[in-house]
Amino acid sequence: MMKAPHELREIAGWMAATDIGFLELRMPGATVRLGRCGDEVVTLDDGQRHDESPVAHRPGATKRSGPPLDTVTSASVGVFLHAHPCATAPFARAGARVQAGQTLGLLRIGVLLLPVATARAGTVAALRVEDGATVGYGAALVDLHPL
Amino acid sequence: MSLSTTGPTPTVSLLGTTALLFEAPGALAFASQQRIWALAQEAAGWPEVREAVPGMNNLMLSFVRPPRTLDALTARLAAAWEAVTPLTREGRVVELPVRYGGAGGPHMADVVAHTGLSVEQIVELHSAPLYPVYALGSHPGYCYLGGMDPRIATPRRPVPVLSIPGGAVSIGGAQTGVSASAGPSGWNTIGSTTMTFFDPVRDPPATLQPGDRIRFLVEGIEP
Amino acid sequence: MIEILSNAALATVQDLGRLGSLRFGVGTAGAMDDLALAAGNLLLGNEAGAAGIEIPVFPFKVRFAEDCVFALTGADCGAKLDAEPLLPWWSHRARAGQVLTLGLPQGAQRASRAVLCLPGGIDVPEVLGSRSTQMRGAFGGHEGRALRKGDVLRAADPKRACRTGFGLVPPALALPLQLDGLVALRVLPGAEYLGFEAASREAFWAGEWRITAQSDRYGYRLSGAALRPVAPMELRSHGIVPGVIQVPHSGQPIIQMRDAQPSGGYPKFGTVIEADLWRLGQAPIGSRIRFIETNWDEAVAALEQKEAWLAKVARMVALQRSGPMGVAA
Repeated sequence: MMKAPHELREIAGWMAATDIGFLELRMPGATVRLGRCGDEVVTLDDGQRHDESPVAHRPGATKRSGPPLDTVTSASVGVFLHAHPCATAPFARAGARVQAGQTLGLLRIGVLLLPVATARAGTVAALRVEDGATVGYGAALVDLHPL
Repeated sequence: MSLSTTGPTPTVSLLGTTALLFEAPGALAFASQQRIWALAQEAAGWPEVREAVPGMNNLMLSFVRPPRTLDALTARLAAAWEAVTPLTREGRVVELPVRYGGAGGPHMADVVAHTGLSVEQIVELHSAPLYPVYALGSHPGYCYLGGMDPRIATPRRPVPVLSIPGGAVSIGGAQTGVSASAGPSGWNTIGSTTMTFFDPVRDPPATLQPGDRIRFLVEGIEP
Repeated sequence: MIEILSNAALATVQDLGRLGSLRFGVGTAGAMDDLALAAGNLLLGNEAGAAGIEIPVFPFKVRFAEDCVFALTGADCGAKLDAEPLLPWWSHRARAGQVLTLGLPQGAQRASRAVLCLPGGIDVPEVLGSRSTQMRGAFGGHEGRALRKGDVLRAADPKRACRTGFGLVPPALALPLQLDGLVALRVLPGAEYLGFEAASREAFWAGEWRITAQSDRYGYRLSGAALRPVAPMELRSHGIVPGVIQVPHSGQPIIQMRDAQPSGGYPKFGTVIEADLWRLGQAPIGSRIRFIETNWDEAVAALEQKEAWLAKVARMVALQRSGPMGVAA
């Protein structure tokens, strides 16, 4: 879905209040990049992107026979965590059956932890992003075989 | 408390970033306490001070938030100490009937053993003075009193008692006092009274204030 | 409305303390881990200083009498809502009749006290400016005492519509302070510091200190190399605050904690700075700790750092509760 200008303004305002330095919004046919310039949040040209590690994202699902994969994507820029910081066991492993609404990982945004949950039941095909990797908005995080 | 003296000038020390402690110089004295009261009254109005809490010839100032530097505050304290007029408080005289000894005074025998005095002599010396309330502390409504006869001073107990009841009249070193509620104590309990010292819904919540005076009335002496 | 189902020995209602009645002999009381209480409140949109339940003994069980949101912070106790495992440092939603169970603290960062917050705070009367339980004198909190099986507590704003299902990076990870693998606490030297032998002073900073079983909300009694005064010190009774390290005749220090009385007379070796008192409040009995000497400027900066963390939590949670990135529960 394309973001309307007022939505972008909201997101920029949200970002200005955080300690996030860079935010990438990927939408079909468009990518918007917001960056911090002092206390201001500005839209960056492609050439201006000189941030941290590359955003983990592989377009499209892996080709294979059978029904297409469900891909759980990132609702925000942040750090993808396979386990809660207090725990060692990951939320999900490849091959595990998961229920609709189940948490598959966490997104760390500064001090905040948000759940990365699946809307549908399935079997985990793959965690697409390393534990602790910085991800962008819309980045594919987990592939599921739908039930 | 002891009757030891502090140095020739006031000292200021830190209690972390929460408060500072100002200690008056010289021997423990009532006149000095009157200056502490005056200092407390003045410092309570300073913007960085949350509460001014008198102790025995000392004053703790808790902070609203810790000041960036302490120099200005300590200089102001030192100047105010020099300038204050001792606060004369014409407090109330409160008479407390006390049953000495018996079940309500389980450590009377220890005071007898330490002082070499008889129970009757101890009761007479303990009930003679008009004790000024120097400050409140320890637990809600508890009063630190001055003026106990040094002849009945008895060291604190080597092992504290887990709980003494509210109203317990006791001696710890050169001090005497009355517990305001049940709790642990290292003091020697010599009697009991039924006074209520604290009610949190009253304003002020404590029955007695610095400057009030207590007289212990002998209600009875039990073996 | 919640009902306590376990024999909740020593669980108490606490807020950030009763700060203005020291001159009446009233200590501050208040949460042993003030960061956990404040963060739990912020997760629900409460004032940081609203009253919560501090739980030091496990297992602890409560039943929700009505649908209610809640937050769990402090020790990670493998919490469960009925049979469903719950994340620590997280906001949750319970349905009427569900039972919350907190088990033994777990994990590498094993802490000792969990905090349960409800919307609007725990609804108990404010006494002398605070809802904290004052044990000595028996007022404040819930009927001036620790909670018991069968007690019923009310949330001040039980029907609050509130986004839940998100959490915080625990401050033990966000604001770590360790020395040689042990929890470390910064100490400002106290009035009688120089009255102790030089060897004792050195040993205090260099040594490990064990938190003995005689430790509670009143004070933590430590065990280690005895601290020897140059000469015996007799002090006049004076005001003290939580964090003050007193050294009685045995030489084994006692750190005053939140239920400490507001005055004392033992020599003061130093004070654990206010910014680090939450770490000590979470250090389990039997664990070992270290001390780091600090100064006024560092201690004030540490307090500001702690406040900055809380301000960031407040800001980020407010955005999460209202912003476009919000994940609906």
